[in-house]
Amino acid sequence: MEARSERNFFSFLGLPRKLNLDVADLEQRYRALSRQFHPDFFYNASPAERRASLENTSYLNDAYRTLKNPVARIEYLLKLEGMTTTATAAPPSLLEEVFALNEELDEIREARANGASADDIRVRLERARKPIEEKRDAHEQDLKALSAKWDAAGDRQVLESLRERILERNYINNLLAGIEKELTA
Amino acid sequence: MSKVVGIDLGTTNSLVAYVKDGVPFVIRDKGGDALVPSIVSIDEKGTVYVGREAQRRLLTDASRTAYSVKRFMGKGLDDVRGEAKHFPFAIGGDAVVTIGLGDKAFTPPEISAFVLRELKRRAEAYFAEQGEFDNEVDRAVITVPAYFNDAQRTATRDAGRIAGLEVLRIINEPTAASLAYGLDKKHSGVIAVYDLGGGTFDISILRVEDGVFQVLSTNGDTHLGGDDIDNLLMEHLGTGYGQDVRKAVIQAKWDLSEREETTIGGRTITRAEFESLIMPIVERTLGPCRQALADAGLQPSDIEEVVLVGGSTRIPLVRRKVEELFGRAPHSDLNPDEVVALGAAVQADILITGNREMLLLDVTPLSLGIETMGGVVSKIIMRNSTIPASGSEMFTTGVDNQTAVDIHVLQGERELVEDNRSLARFKLRGIPPMPAGLPRVHVQFQIDANGILSVTARELRTEVEQSIEVKPSYGLTDEQVEQMLLDSFEHAEADFAARMLIEARNEAETVINATEKSLRDPDFAAIEKAELGDGERQKIESVIAGLKMVMGSTDRETIQKWTKALNDATQHLAEVMMNRSVHAALSGKNVDSL
Repeated sequence: MEARSERNFFSFLGLPRKLNLDVADLEQRYRALSRQFHPDFFYNASPAERRASLENTSYLNDAYRTLKNPVARIEYLLKLEGMTTTATAAPPSLLEEVFALNEELDEIREARANGASADDIRVRLERARKPIEEKRDAHEQDLKALSAKWDAAGDRQVLESLRERILERNYINNLLAGIEKELTA
Repeated sequence: MSKVVGIDLGTTNSLVAYVKDGVPFVIRDKGGDALVPSIVSIDEKGTVYVGREAQRRLLTDASRTAYSVKRFMGKGLDDVRGEAKHFPFAIGGDAVVTIGLGDKAFTPPEISAFVLRELKRRAEAYFAEQGEFDNEVDRAVITVPAYFNDAQRTATRDAGRIAGLEVLRIINEPTAASLAYGLDKKHSGVIAVYDLGGGTFDISILRVEDGVFQVLSTNGDTHLGGDDIDNLLMEHLGTGYGQDVRKAVIQAKWDLSEREETTIGGRTITRAEFESLIMPIVERTLGPCRQALADAGLQPSDIEEVVLVGGSTRIPLVRRKVEELFGRAPHSDLNPDEVVALGAAVQADILITGNREMLLLDVTPLSLGIETMGGVVSKIIMRNSTIPASGSEMFTTGVDNQTAVDIHVLQGERELVEDNRSLARFKLRGIPPMPAGLPRVHVQFQIDANGILSVTARELRTEVEQSIEVKPSYGLTDEQVEQMLLDSFEHAEADFAARMLIEARNEAETVINATEKSLRDPDFAAIEKAELGDGERQKIESVIAGLKMVMGSTDRETIQKWTKALNDATQHLAEVMMNRSVHAALSGKNVDSL
């Protein structure tokens, strides 16, 4: 465990702690390191080497999977910099939307109970989803801009903003999942 | 060096392949047959028949003959009750299904081990014939459906162990197929492998680049294949599930891949009728295909090549539906029955030689999680994670001085425990007594390159390694596997003895026949008078009588002793007969007329 706390996904793949990365370059590094560590090539090696191969490959796979996904990459960086990204309550900036959506969902459930047509419900749900989706799209843009800012200066203030956006984004995704659930109900 | 082979342990047929000088090939029997039907039969005397011989016994002794056993691997009795009616053999057991053949019950890994032993024997016979210095086959790579869960993979590895094979690696069938395909073409791109076999369906999406075969996603159904088509046809005909009916519908199914219509039991069935009948089965394969595409983050149009594997992909409707979905014609330049075994042999060669030219990076098909409060699953390793993969979770105690914690591990995508597959229950023991909530037990879940799970745990405050007691939910314990291995040695010995006895009897018969032929020779009286000593004929006749008497016994050594005695007694006669025929040939007379 001690050795593990020193290394991180970025350093393991020979990458700087930056958020915009070239995916093709990441893939190539991943393949090269897989060729170096994979258990396939340690079948005849000593038990210690085999254990190391298994451990390194597992870590590499985790690193690759995390860094390949832009949002997971930001979350990982935040964690690395000592910031938590588990939301507890609705972010203040979203209160208005959350309130409106919950009201609308209640009405839709009631309408369903009173025998509204499936088409009707679908239209209303899709209408309710629209502003939330717009919010998420705006967040994507924010995340991109903030990522570029971090890469340029490595400013902790930027990390704080990234963290807020990520928390909001997770919350938005939960809202969207809630709507999706109603749609398939 | 002993040999390492690749084995495709199929629902319907099994094959063994080997790589020589970089080229993989399937090992065939003397008649050129590559397939060993995955069928095992045991007669009243306990003689074991595997493959074609066992297949013939399906028609004469079905209740003692097991087939499609792969469908039962890693399953409990509750899982298979619904389809028991389709099988002539008795299905029992509890957490592990058992198959009754006569008065003995076998687990699916034990039945599979008979098939594996037959493949091992076939490969060893081939290497011996090639004059290889060491023809022993003691290690293998064995393939499984990509969508097999941990219990099914473990059952396959157990089968290998029971058969006396060290299983170097369990690899996924579609991935193995891609490896075989990738050999001759140094291509790169995104390919989809659609594998519809006798009992299972898999779809895998791979990216191939610089010799690295990276699986992006996989999906499937471990209970969907040609067997279901056969069952559907039998139901449709309404003439029962007898083995004769089964044989007829399989033939009809094959016919309809080539022709527009065929007959079963005097009844005509058209391809259109057949296709509308099996449409639901083919449709069931498309959902997993779409899910795999979504998981890989791809559109159907992103797929550059579609590869078909498995005998059921010979059905024209299957090909049409696959082409429709991916918008391109699938190709199947390699024999869909053989391609998986070839890939397994390639993987075996990589492991043995350490050749880094090609590398297969596969994924785990199902998410791994643990049970948390309220019967909800908390996921630790997500499906489609590249393996080896690890994940960890921190546990603590709920009561003061608690020294053990129970952990329930599950596999599946659903939220609730009861909807997922239970893999095992672990008991963490030896936690140092502390106030509740204080211990911090770090539990590490490791899925290895075989897709099989292992668990280790350590209490972080005291650095005490925790002992873990594993109770597999649907598997055999190590002790049970060991016992089966021992039993199988006894069985193998009994098997071997039975073979030797049959061979001894055959040889005795050959010698008796040859001798009696000489004695019946029209010229024998003349020969006896001129060439044979006093009482030589009487001696030969009495030895024949003796040999005939012991031949029916099971005492192989006595049979061999008497056979040798007859050989010795007739040696002089044989020489005389030989000289006469040579003399006759030299003097221009026709040997046959002697």
